[in-house]
Amino acid sequence: MKTLVSTFGKEDLEKVLLAMKLLPYEKLVLIGKGEMTDCDAFKRVSALEEMSGHRLTAEELDGNDFMELVDGVSEILAELLRHESIVLNVSGGDKLLGDAAILAAFRLGVEAYHCDERLTRLPVLRGATAKDRFTPTEQRFLTSVAGKWTPLDNLVESISQGKRQPVERVMRELRKMGLLITEVQGGKIRVALSGEGKEVARAIKACSQR
Amino acid sequence: MVAVFGTLGYRPKSLIPTIKSTPNVDKVVFYCGADRSDSEALKRVTEARKAVIDYCRTMRIAAEAVDLEDPFDFKRIALRIRSDIKKHKRDGKEIAVFNIAGGTRPTSSAALLVCILEGIPTVYVHDITYEEIHLPLLRMEYSQILSGEERAILKVLLKNRGKDLTEVELARLVGKHKATINHHLRNLISKGAVRLEGHHSDSRKKIVRLEESTELLLGDDD
Repeated sequence: MKTLVSTFGKEDLEKVLLAMKLLPYEKLVLIGKGEMTDCDAFKRVSALEEMSGHRLTAEELDGNDFMELVDGVSEILAELLRHESIVLNVSGGDKLLGDAAILAAFRLGVEAYHCDERLTRLPVLRGATAKDRFTPTEQRFLTSVAGKWTPLDNLVESISQGKRQPVERVMRELRKMGLLITEVQGGKIRVALSGEGKEVARAIKACSQR
Repeated sequence: MVAVFGTLGYRPKSLIPTIKSTPNVDKVVFYCGADRSDSEALKRVTEARKAVIDYCRTMRIAAEAVDLEDPFDFKRIALRIRSDIKKHKRDGKEIAVFNIAGGTRPTSSAALLVCILEGIPTVYVHDITYEEIHLPLLRMEYSQILSGEERAILKVLLKNRGKDLTEVELARLVGKHKATINHHLRNLISKGAVRLEGHHSDSRKKIVRLEESTELLLGDDD
């Protein structure tokens, strides 16, 4: 089943209608903030979907924290991707939601469009995700460090069953990429993720949910 | 030289905090524009533009206002911003940050897209508190996702955009065997970067077309 997912705000009826017209789909999912199901635009789209025998799905996200929105949209997309192929329209809703959807599309390699008078396909390579940039060991390293300072010894144990050399090599590579910071405390190496490293770790986790 | 980039709508306060918080700024480049049929919008954008230029002049910072012909044309805006960013990088200028808080939604989204593709640090300015919010962006380095052969194929197709290249002609231009090109083309099709179309006079041949979005992916000088 092909699902069209669109970001949505109460003044975005025309944008969503255009996306519905230009992008072939069977099921429609709207992602919005707050009580979007109460607005006239939502009711109108819902009525149109009922005519085709499909129920419109509403996914409501709260808050104005950008990264929370990115994670929220990513979760919705990742869940849908388990069962169906999807296309994403990022032109609805407020700036924050639309931009969060762009980032989520890049994270997960979802075919995405900006639909506002004209339809523009975003340069997201289908299926090309943040995961593809890293080896399995690098991925395990990044997701194991998470958001806290972690002793390298712990990672040596958890990632490569006590073999130190491959883990140290991965650490050097990730540090060179600017994803990792390191310090020595009490003669022991500790590692933490940089800002970009944290986003990469989040992206890898989001991709793993697919 | 340190440059700050930004998008601007009605509110200079959405851009000026970023100029203030960035050390040693030499240049500010900002993108603005309004629906030309909306006189009120045009007036407000013009006022905001003037305010930012006045601020920069007082602070002895060079300012470049880029007036967007159509602030709702997502693709053209993205191509323009990407081209400017690449030019600054080529000239050895540091782009400290890109503020995407102001401007129309397509302008802001196009700027975000370019920041992801070019790995530029990005900030929002909160609507009410005017506090800067740094976005931890994920840089998508397609050089690490596409193989060397795939990139070579895309570059040849981009260079020959106006021509109807068949797989055989493409193989010759890339300097690889047709079977090799065919293999890479299948991968590129599955990624949504290229498509095949029927030849106008020979049904056995296929024309290889670059998807429109791939132009945005590669930028103007790759």
